[in-house]
Amino acid sequence: MKEFLLYTGCTTPVRLPGYEKAVELVLEKLGVRLTTMKDANCCGAQYIESVNHVAFAAMSGRILALAEKENMNIIAICGACSGSLKHVKYDLDNNPELLAEVNDILEEEGLKYTGKTQVKHLLQIFREDIGYDAIKSAIVNPYKGIRLAAHYGCHVTRPEEIVQVDDAENPTIIDRIIKAAGGTAVDYNGKTRCCGGPLLAMDEEVGNAIGRDKIENIRAENVDGIVTACVFCDIQLTQVQFGEEAGNKPKIPVITLPQFLGPALGIDEESLGISLIKINPQAILKAH
Amino acid sequence: MTQQTKEQPPINHIPSSTFAKDISREPGGEGIMQCIQCGMCTASCMVASKTERYRPRKLIQKILLGKREEVLSSELPWLCMTCRLCEERCQEDVDLSEIFTAVREMAAREGYIPPVFQNTIDKVLEDGWLLNDAYTDFEEDDRDDLGLDTDLGWNNEFVKKLKKKYFEGGAKK
Repeated sequence: MKEFLLYTGCTTPVRLPGYEKAVELVLEKLGVRLTTMKDANCCGAQYIESVNHVAFAAMSGRILALAEKENMNIIAICGACSGSLKHVKYDLDNNPELLAEVNDILEEEGLKYTGKTQVKHLLQIFREDIGYDAIKSAIVNPYKGIRLAAHYGCHVTRPEEIVQVDDAENPTIIDRIIKAAGGTAVDYNGKTRCCGGPLLAMDEEVGNAIGRDKIENIRAENVDGIVTACVFCDIQLTQVQFGEEAGNKPKIPVITLPQFLGPALGIDEESLGISLIKINPQAILKAH
Repeated sequence: MTQQTKEQPPINHIPSSTFAKDISREPGGEGIMQCIQCGMCTASCMVASKTERYRPRKLIQKILLGKREEVLSSELPWLCMTCRLCEERCQEDVDLSEIFTAVREMAAREGYIPPVFQNTIDKVLEDGWLLNDAYTDFEEDDRDDLGLDTDLGWNNEFVKKLKKKYFEGGAKK
């Protein structure tokens, strides 16, 4: 059985614990065992990243070094975390000065970054470590007659040359898993565009307008739900469907990839935290 | 004209201000001189599609032209979502989000940080993670029901060390 060290990030454990649990259960079912990283810190994405690149490299670098100490590779389930860890890994592997400064700080608690730990986003584990054929053959309860839109997340797939997850302009991993589980993967206008989440701090109105734009492009394709692979995207595409600006339009369920895949693998809904999903996804889950 | 050129120093028509050169020496800012101002970035930008305040091409142009104070003190570099859609499409390989991150870092050193960023930075450097205040009994119960560990075990010693080293005692590179 393959093993990975799960770096949950700050947001998933608090805002989307069902996603965290579903990642664990679905991967276990598909032959990948996870251990949760302890004594970690925030990866530093967006906030520390914006104001001090050495401090940012130290924060993500410490997470990489903790994994090295355990002699394990990391799985990240949030776009911001996987993006930060991969970027900092790239910087540390290519900038000896930065590496020396970060290691000076890490040394104080007996940690060292040497670069041997790999970082993978959840989508990579599905494609590289499990494979579509294995997923397909593990499906015991396939979906029937549902149309689903995949949303990949900017930091999950870009920049392609550093994150190495999928084709950045035409990503297919989520779509292929939707198909493997018996659903119909539907393309839509602006599929690789942002959910608007990263702008909420600076301009909530514009950030939400960007999210609603995405929802309307998806709605135009008459889908039953949206499948996500990043905690921030999932929360943003859900919350923009509430409130005055959203009007009275029917809400489109938003579900994370492992919570969608789990029931098709025979994992019961309750253990996957389905009841915590804000927009009832039963229209998807009943389609068998 | 030839006469004039001899008497006066030649006018440099290549937009390469000292500010742009400074940015190009910052980590992430290296590619700014490659920009040909084609506007592919603005055409791809979702923020630009929803607000007239923000035009990534124009922001790069301001840097190339040396509008240092205007750029560093404005909200513009902080409006980039770092979604990198423009970078994926830029034919000259200009990494705009990296450049704007370099601009933000320079702005931060000179004391310009949007309050909303500063507040979150302060929280992260205190707690070690983003959502310490949001993690209440309700969320703990949800985790407990799912059989997940309720002790998230975040480390805050390390960020305190970073705070002391990089964020106190004046602006520091």
